[in-house]
Amino acid sequence: MTDLKDSTMTERRNAKRPMSPRRKRYLTATGIAALIGCIMGAWMQIDNPSGSSASLAPLSNSPLTPSFAVGASILWVIGLIVALSIYHRAVDDHEERAYLWAALAAWYTFALSAPVWWMLHRAGLAPPADAILLFAGALVLNCIVWLWLKYR
Amino acid sequence: MNNKLKVLRAMRNWSQAELADRLDVSRQAVNAIETGKYDPSLPLAFKLARLFEMPIEEIFDDGFEGFNND
Repeated sequence: MTDLKDSTMTERRNAKRPMSPRRKRYLTATGIAALIGCIMGAWMQIDNPSGSSASLAPLSNSPLTPSFAVGASILWVIGLIVALSIYHRAVDDHEERAYLWAALAAWYTFALSAPVWWMLHRAGLAPPADAILLFAGALVLNCIVWLWLKYR
Repeated sequence: MNNKLKVLRAMRNWSQAELADRLDVSRQAVNAIETGKYDPSLPLAFKLARLFEMPIEEIFDDGFEGFNND
């Protein structure tokens, strides 16, 4: 009974608290980043010149239309700069530390794998290095380290 | 580093989210400090000290037992 009363009081207290400016900025930054991802993914799928709707265009290497390539590149660069500028003004010490270690893990992933792949390709032992695959690998490591340090 | 954050927070009947709001950090940051998974930066440690109105070394204990001056 007491536990229930305490938890209800805590919930009521939490519900009353207004959102801090830092948290608003944080949600704005993550919202912009998510919106950019959704727009680019949907646009790529709709604007797929191969016309195949069976596969996901963002996961394929099929050709893109020039209009999409230019538009999406502008959206990616400007949108990400805006989102990251807001994000870095919104994060606290704890998340900044998680972000920096995650970024370092991503960089090491790239620094270790890219030259190896490039040399193996030049020796005829591997296909040409795929920049997006390297980017995806670094991004996966980045996400794992960030999530682990922030939520463990 | 050990700290008394959980005890001090409980004494004031604050939730982690409430303390996080007072410090302007995330709830995850408060949880990470309480569980010893993250040592706060000096500005955040000062903020905590001011909030709880006690010296930093009364909140945090790094296990230091004095210099060995033999």
